[in-house]
Amino acid sequence: MLLVLGQVDPEAPPGGAFTPVSAAVSAGFPSPAQDHYRGPIDLNERYILDKTSTFVLNVAGDSMIGAGIYDGDQIIVDRSIRPDYGDVVVAIVDGELTLKTLARSDGGPILKAENPRFRSIPLEGEQELVIWGVVTWNMHPHRP
Amino acid sequence: MIGLVDANSFYASCERVFDPKLEGRPVVVLSNNDGCVVSLSAEAKALGVKMGTPWFKIRGAADHWGLVARSSNYELYGDLSARMHELVGRYGAFVEEYSIDECFLHVNAERTDLMALGREIRARVRRHVGLPVSVGFGPSKTLAKLANHGAKRNTRLAGVCDWTSYSAEQQARILDSYPTSETWGIASRLQRRLAERNIHTMLQLRDADPAVIKKTFGVVVQRTVYELGGISCIELEPERKTKQQIISSRMFGHPVTDPATVEHVLSVYAQRATARMRRERSVAGLVSTFAASSPYADGYTSAWGQAAFAMPTDDPVAIAKAAAASLRDRLRTGTRYVRAGVMLSALSPASSHTFLPLFQPDYDHRGVGELLDRVHRHHGEHTLGLGMAGMRLGPGFEMRREMLSLRATTHWGELATAHAA
Repeated sequence: MLLVLGQVDPEAPPGGAFTPVSAAVSAGFPSPAQDHYRGPIDLNERYILDKTSTFVLNVAGDSMIGAGIYDGDQIIVDRSIRPDYGDVVVAIVDGELTLKTLARSDGGPILKAENPRFRSIPLEGEQELVIWGVVTWNMHPHRP
Repeated sequence: MIGLVDANSFYASCERVFDPKLEGRPVVVLSNNDGCVVSLSAEAKALGVKMGTPWFKIRGAADHWGLVARSSNYELYGDLSARMHELVGRYGAFVEEYSIDECFLHVNAERTDLMALGREIRARVRRHVGLPVSVGFGPSKTLAKLANHGAKRNTRLAGVCDWTSYSAEQQARILDSYPTSETWGIASRLQRRLAERNIHTMLQLRDADPAVIKKTFGVVVQRTVYELGGISCIELEPERKTKQQIISSRMFGHPVTDPATVEHVLSVYAQRATARMRRERSVAGLVSTFAASSPYADGYTSAWGQAAFAMPTDDPVAIAKAAAASLRDRLRTGTRYVRAGVMLSALSPASSHTFLPLFQPDYDHRGVGELLDRVHRHHGEHTLGLGMAGMRLGPGFEMRREMLSLRATTHWGELATAHAA
């Protein structure tokens, strides 16, 4: 794919006395939309609630397919959210950032894999230290 | 009341955020070129490693200790620092970012439970950003700094310390246990001169006659005397000063003996500095350059150059040309140069200049700078530049950073991985 970002003309003549005129002072009919335009929609505004605590991580592996999260996806993780049962979380298991669902079982809270081929992990003791952050969005590409 | 929020072992703690394996293990972060220790975790301190310890001295024992060393990952530290400052800023209308890992904030003491606020900030920074911080409160910056030191040193305080919670006797005892050199703003050189006047501890400094101190040591030390007594004299500086200069300077991986190569390096550094300056929408009036041999080898020499622009500019062509030419005839063939740098100064906002057409540099209307900016934004920093090699230097010129962690918050290609296994 070729994307032209701009061109440089080495033979360009000197600029001369050219005064650019901005839209605000231009004569003629102003755009009726001008007063209502607040800029384009901003993805950050919707997908990042708190920029101090939001991180993007890559996903590696198939254990969360049942939750719609696939190998190679990118997830948005917000560390400020207190994890609740049913949240997909990034947990620290054996020193690694691990993706699981925080779920309740008979024996107490567990980190549940969303794929029957993978095991779930019972949680003991200090849960808060184990949860690195809560997944708020998953970015799954629909083109390679 | 003034609070000081200060991250514990900042660089080492940043390394742990995306690599929880490092929790509880001794961690050190090394300076440029992996030279010496610039940050170390409490576990590394306990092994006797110190700030400034050369890496080659502890490298052999590292495996045995289970010590992990990392190259400085400035982009990661800078991003986590910005998050920390933003978060702390939410707790006070009046905040000063004092350094990459410290910030002062003004607190209305009458309406605030200081200990509760300190614990809240601590917990919040830990949860949001993943960094451990300590919080100290005091009636002056100097005492807030001291309280912060106490919060770090005394584990029973759990990271929060309020100077005003101590009685006058307790305060005197604490001040008596610190040498003057640990006072914020007192250099070790001053310590000796103070000692000659029989002022050895912070307590003696606090109780010294301010008039005598002013006459002997100047108004800066007098201010410290008042500050130690709980009278705030050093204002918070919430306005971030505009940058006075932009420097691109590095050690080479190996010595360079060929002046033409040094000129090429200067051109690349000039382009990098210009790119940074353009991001801040500034223009430079002056470009200064230097190249130097190793200060540790015999026959240390250095060369300096400078070029002034008739009109301040942000044009990469003009700046790179000026930088490369500035040391011409001043570099000696055969000298082993190990360091070079380019500094842009006399900076001002680009918007403050209306260029008269007559004085407009030739290059400006071609839009070379803008085009380069766009290419760099789309395709990465070093993809396009001036000269044969563009903005790339051979591997020998780049910093040695062999143990660099991922720049997980600033580069799409280096995100951390969550394992779904």
